[in-house]
Amino acid sequence: MSASPSTTAPPAATGAEAPPAGGSRGAAKRRAPISRRGERLVGYTFMTPWIIGSLVFTVGPMLWSLYLSFTDYHLLLGGDWVGMANYTAMFEDPMFGRAVKVTLLYVLLAVPLKLIASLAVAMLLTQSRRGIGFYRAAFYMPSLIAMSVGIAIVWKALFSGGGPQDQFMSWFGWEGGGFIGNPSVSILMLVLLSVWTFGAPMVIFMAGLLQVPSELYEAAEVDGAGRWHRFVHITIPMLSPVIFFNVLMETVHAFQLFGPAFIIGGTAGGPAWSTLFYTVRIYALAFVDLRMGYASAWAWMLVLAVGVVTLIMFRAAKNLVYYAGEDNR
Amino acid sequence: MMRNPHGLRRRSLLTGASATAVLAAAAACGEDGPAGTADDPVEISFEWWGDDARAEITTEAVNLFMSKNEGIKVQTNFADFPTYWEGMTGRMASQDLPDVFQMDYSRLRQFGTTGLLLPLEGVVKTDDFREGFLETAKLDGKLIAVPAAGNTLGLIYRSDWFEAHGVAAPAPGYSWDAYAADIAKVTAGLGEGKWGGGDWAGQYHFMELWLRQQGGSFYTEDGKALAFDQAKLAEWWQTTAALYAAGDVPPVATTVEWVEGGLVQDLLASEIGWDNFMPGFSPTVEANGGTLALAAPPTLDPNNLGLYLKPSMQFVISAATEQAEASAKLIDFLLGDPEAIAILGTSRGIPATNAGLANVELDAASQAVIDYEASVSQYLTTPPPAPPAATGAIEVKFGELYQQVQYAEMTPVEAAELFFTEAETLLANEQ
Repeated sequence: MSASPSTTAPPAATGAEAPPAGGSRGAAKRRAPISRRGERLVGYTFMTPWIIGSLVFTVGPMLWSLYLSFTDYHLLLGGDWVGMANYTAMFEDPMFGRAVKVTLLYVLLAVPLKLIASLAVAMLLTQSRRGIGFYRAAFYMPSLIAMSVGIAIVWKALFSGGGPQDQFMSWFGWEGGGFIGNPSVSILMLVLLSVWTFGAPMVIFMAGLLQVPSELYEAAEVDGAGRWHRFVHITIPMLSPVIFFNVLMETVHAFQLFGPAFIIGGTAGGPAWSTLFYTVRIYALAFVDLRMGYASAWAWMLVLAVGVVTLIMFRAAKNLVYYAGEDNR
Repeated sequence: MMRNPHGLRRRSLLTGASATAVLAAAAACGEDGPAGTADDPVEISFEWWGDDARAEITTEAVNLFMSKNEGIKVQTNFADFPTYWEGMTGRMASQDLPDVFQMDYSRLRQFGTTGLLLPLEGVVKTDDFREGFLETAKLDGKLIAVPAAGNTLGLIYRSDWFEAHGVAAPAPGYSWDAYAADIAKVTAGLGEGKWGGGDWAGQYHFMELWLRQQGGSFYTEDGKALAFDQAKLAEWWQTTAALYAAGDVPPVATTVEWVEGGLVQDLLASEIGWDNFMPGFSPTVEANGGTLALAAPPTLDPNNLGLYLKPSMQFVISAATEQAEASAKLIDFLLGDPEAIAILGTSRGIPATNAGLANVELDAASQAVIDYEASVSQYLTTPPPAPPAATGAIEVKFGELYQQVQYAEMTPVEAAELFFTEAETLLANEQ
């Protein structure tokens, strides 16, 4: 480590310096303008692999499932057109209410907690400190592995009876045992898993925080504003577009939680349906009960619900989100 | 809007497209001609469910088969039971089943009625099966599977613990009430954290046993409906209520965390179960310093134990196979070749063929299973017809709803009502 730089570094350095001198300037030579139409054609040509992929693997299956949702399609026996029957049956299905309840509870718990955690950590990590890069990577790490099967299994072990969570909480007089076997708290396992994986919103918050002009803070400080006031009156409003984006993304994701719930609770959403997430129920309907048509209707109801929620959020955002530079609106 | 019950019969709207939409399954097929020589072998695939130990011996037997039949190459694969069936369900839809695979009685109708299985009459050898075995391999009179081994229900118990706490060895005719009393006694004797027996009410097979003891059955003869009413189910789900409330059987919060099961984990003194599981449990229990024994399950009627001989596993051939001959050869080999039988042992249960029984090497636990089956042979009655295709899903629902009862989220009556709604929907869906 000490000897090699003296021999290898100089050539590398000169090599790196050379291009900016001649190369990049030379490349900036103006090209003859290609016609708009030709340019468009080239663009689409480059996109064909993606277009084909999304048609075959996303759009096609989606349209097919939309069709299936109007049939009583059985995975093995096929099905007939039944019109709206699946959609009306859903509202008489006792499992529908349960699945919706579990999912909403999760969204309401996980989204705010995760955003608060990620914002708090982002604020810590935007300070300039020694080794901040390491901390940023370390805090981002969990979100890289969180949706893996391995972590879900680790989670299961952490929250089993007599496991770390049970032991720890027992010191404080907890008698509920492991979360795994206790339906009244088992959903918290998944909330915690979600909060722990705040990496994605954290990075976005960090980018947002670094954009806030430091003059604002300086001016406020001169006026005698404390930390709290600066946070509430500068950080939050300046960050509101980013907050809005994160709320939206996290909410949409939370509605679709599947992997960890499936591994921890199984197709039955155990214990006692307390982790019977909407998507888990869709899976069970489709692949245990083989009722593909009905499961498709459930899936489209989720699409509809998430769409409505998103729409409401956009409406609400009009009054809540502050876009700098649009003051006169 | 209501489902139209007189609508057109649903039939294969199955297309490759739907399958692609559902699962991306990798196809594996040998396109060789049917002949097959050492230079140009035909290739067949063979899959089963089970653990690593079973995989090891099965692979060994398959290798022996390949060395004896140089023109045939066998691709093998295995998974645990739930994963296996999840995979097979998707592959069933995409019509991409292995040439030879292991079948369970509960799924036989699902696969059999959709034309996915090759009729086996005259294809495989059928002259050497033990009495009563071949009946359960037929669907509506047509042979579509061959039994690899058989089993029946029994009471698997820790004879050392039973004895130590003053409980006599259960004998045929042992009543449910006597069993419950013994569980309470053993639980009290064992102390904190161990139990005299498991909660039996969550298993539909055990309810079937209980219904058969009353001359009933779980499904109607045609397999299109449940053959009992809600009150009966609520009654069944209360058969362990007193034990559960008293803490004589383990609470659900504990059992949901068990991975290997109470007997193996040295926590449970008895459990109703399939008798062929006993040799599997036995080594671990012995390592824990205990002894396992088998007895007839508890009954309502001393003259009718409700028992029948069920195939624990079957082998089937996919109707889509291009290598029926080679596939049949493999099955004949696994069930009839003395060397293969010696290798396979009792991993799949007590062999279903006479050749199998004559050539298998039995350890004490497997011998105990054979002895047990002989001891209850006078009580074995006609097996029920292969259960409806939806039975896999119904079984899951049965367990889920009983869990609601255990957690006191629902009363037995409420749970029974919901079970009927769900089961009837599932059964109607198959018709």
